[in-house]
Amino acid sequence: MARTTYDETAIIEQLHHQNTARAAFSQVIEHYSSTLYWQIRRMVIDHDDASDVLQNTFIKAWTSIDHFRGDAKLSTWLYKIAINESITFINKKKAQNNISLDDDDTFLTNSLESDEWFDGDQAQVLLQQAIATLPEKQRLVFNMRYYDEMKYEDMSEILNTSVGALKASYHHAVKKIEAFFAEHD
Amino acid sequence: MKTEKSQILDKLGKDSGFKVPEGFFEQFNQQLIDSLPDVQITDVDEKPSMWVRVRPYLYMAATFAGIWAMMNVFNHFNGTTDQTMRMNEIAAGISQDNNADELIMSGVASDYDILTYEDSVNNDIANEVEPELPNN
Repeated sequence: MARTTYDETAIIEQLHHQNTARAAFSQVIEHYSSTLYWQIRRMVIDHDDASDVLQNTFIKAWTSIDHFRGDAKLSTWLYKIAINESITFINKKKAQNNISLDDDDTFLTNSLESDEWFDGDQAQVLLQQAIATLPEKQRLVFNMRYYDEMKYEDMSEILNTSVGALKASYHHAVKKIEAFFAEHD
Repeated sequence: MKTEKSQILDKLGKDSGFKVPEGFFEQFNQQLIDSLPDVQITDVDEKPSMWVRVRPYLYMAATFAGIWAMMNVFNHFNGTTDQTMRMNEIAAGISQDNNADELIMSGVASDYDILTYEDSVNNDIANEVEPELPNN
């Protein structure tokens, strides 16, 4: 199927007009759904949950599209919404399971091995468990850097954190994961 | 840039083990696009209305009008206007006489100028109406 070329500048312009916004946002969904899904999935772990959070992310972006003036990159804006939605979802799930908000997110990986949409081996299960022990911001930094290979500069815009602090955060995350493996392997 | 190296992570690679159903994204995208609610978008290049464009000038004009009106009211209650006019007349008379005297005394004015000035003064005196004295 021939795909329309994605021109972000033109898309942002079209998003600001009532008669072109819906078609433009459809292109935004097609362009970013996969990237945002994987970012969300690595946070919430479960496929169905990731699908729900992704839908909420796009609905929230669409209903507040009038507030997006194009000062930041569209991707940055969408990432921020996706991260907020993911954290809100995890906190709700913690509340449902009577888990303190201060506790780590390892409960999310409890049913990973029986998950229909996970076919990783024991080492990959262990890695997901190790990542889930990290504080939320460190998890985000690790996932963005390790899996998405995102530049620290881009990460800095999304997370409103300095590049130096992000590098330190990633370094600490790697050390904690290695320690987790040393303890559980 | 220093790259973080980890033997464990190098061994595991970038595959997280997460999968999605076949055709998930195509189906997801289409369902989402079809279910997007209606939203109201303000066109960014929408021309501002006449009222919006004229409003700042009207506010400015109203401010000046207000200041002018306040000054008039203030002057009215203090009687400043009549008093100022009288003071100006007196000041003009003193100034004119002083100037003429100074010019004559300093010799700057010619004989013709002096004669013309004296004629005008005499005319002014002749035209003045003598006040009637009360009859005893």
